[in-house]
Amino acid sequence: MNALLSAEGITKSFGTTPVLSGITLSVGPGEPVGLFGPNGSGKTTLVNILSGLLLPDAGTVRFDGKEITRLPLDARYRLGIARTFQIPHPYPALSVREAVRVALAADPGKRTEGGGARENEEGPAEDLLARTGLFNQRFVPCAQLSQGCLRRLEFARALACRPKLLILDEIFSALSAADEGDLTALLRAANRGEGTAFLLVSHNPPLLKSLCRRILVLEEGRIVREKTV
Amino acid sequence: MRNAAAFRGGWLAAGIGLLLLFPLSSPDAFFLDVFTTGFLLAAFAASWDVVGGVSGQTTLGHALPFGAAAYACALLTSLAGWPLPLAVAAAIVLAAVAGAGIGALSAPLAGPFVALLTLALGEIAHEAAVGNTFFTGPGGYAWGGEGGIPVALPWRDASPFSSYYAALAFLCLASYGMLRFSRSGAGLILRAVAGSPITAQASGVPIARYKRLAFAVGSAFAGAAGAGFALHVGRATATDLSLELSFQAATFAAVGGCGTIVGPVVAALVLHVLFQGLSLPPSSRVLLYALTLLVTLRFFPGGVVGTARDLASRLGGKEGARPPRRRGRNRNGEGTP
Repeated sequence: MNALLSAEGITKSFGTTPVLSGITLSVGPGEPVGLFGPNGSGKTTLVNILSGLLLPDAGTVRFDGKEITRLPLDARYRLGIARTFQIPHPYPALSVREAVRVALAADPGKRTEGGGARENEEGPAEDLLARTGLFNQRFVPCAQLSQGCLRRLEFARALACRPKLLILDEIFSALSAADEGDLTALLRAANRGEGTAFLLVSHNPPLLKSLCRRILVLEEGRIVREKTV
Repeated sequence: MRNAAAFRGGWLAAGIGLLLLFPLSSPDAFFLDVFTTGFLLAAFAASWDVVGGVSGQTTLGHALPFGAAAYACALLTSLAGWPLPLAVAAAIVLAAVAGAGIGALSAPLAGPFVALLTLALGEIAHEAAVGNTFFTGPGGYAWGGEGGIPVALPWRDASPFSSYYAALAFLCLASYGMLRFSRSGAGLILRAVAGSPITAQASGVPIARYKRLAFAVGSAFAGAAGAGFALHVGRATATDLSLELSFQAATFAAVGGCGTIVGPVVAALVLHVLFQGLSLPPSSRVLLYALTLLVTLRFFPGGVVGTARDLASRLGGKEGARPPRRRGRNRNGEGTP
């Protein structure tokens, strides 16, 4: 199987502190992969490099056969790699619906593919909000959302580009059991229903086992184990 | 929501109606001039709001496109002999290009660094204009420096009434254009960039391109106001590039409500007409502007319009509705469960 996303020899240091040392990994099309590791093992740095927020000191990242090592975050989103943040950064002055419309407006090609919507049409935004359980909060300013709703909004924003790969950084942390259950169902639906691959970063081994086919274990900047579930 | 729009529309119509009728009350030519300048400054303040409010790029050098357009108008008509409409169009294009350039320079920066960069660029332009008598006009008169450069106008003495109505028409058209821009898809994306650049970028927004767009559009409107101001006073002077002018625009926006477009227009009109109408000396006006800004920032951080909106949203809720039936499809075109 050709890899959808592959990273080879990813190395990163902050000053004199090495954070990642020669990481090599791959995610196949539609494959659910987990990334587990203790605090400070380099998970978020790796996610930042894979999503285009950081440049590696060495190594290459390829997606769909193209090298994307130096491609920025926004360009990777338009290619079909969507990421969520461990700590969401909501738009304080925008409503929930507007936040989703920003993500829909950023990629006219994909938006048209998703039903011929134009910039000011609200159909796709309403659909995403209904799907992520945010429809009734669509007029609420993002700054007033609870932690659970913020995670749902992160998910809605990520799904707006109809991604081929989702990179989810600790999206299940600090959630109620109900929110965790809903987000788990959403992630399964995206993966099984739409064939979206994901790389899920989590501290929760049972959750990773229930959602992922393969789990990578990161310790001190190296992948030390790979488990097939 | 419809009632609120009708309410706002009613206030707007009443305001424009009063301004249309004001010259019929046979006011002093001085007051007509104060209002005419006020209309141009109001459009300038709204253009600051496109950059600093809607897009969150706090600029302290917004007089640069205003003054550059005024100087372009003066130079192109007086020195190159261009027809006035062509010179005005070129001046607006020049302002937009200057804005895009400032946007490109400030794109990698954030917050106070954008303010410092724009302040520095504005001051360079101001000092260049103040310190140089760079052209010699007819009869050997030095052009430039404090005296500025005259605009070759195709009319001799414009009537204060025609200037008043022309400036009012310009303000209405420019405000409508800026309002439409701020409420467009691009405006929504700019508000997102202002609120959280990292989330906007993670949503596929090329933020450097949108920052350039914000500066270019805001500067084009500032340039139009600057060209209008040069036509009104008959010359471009170094004051058109001054820090005081940039500060005034930012103050009007903060007092009226950043990001609202209408707020800065109203604040500029009210404050300018009040302070200028009282014939206060310039130093006192600067002090009063600063004082008004301090009071607003301390007690009404959302400005007049922002505070009014907060009050309105606290008083009235938004109704819910049934979510639509899901129409999601996978990449193979199949419906999802």
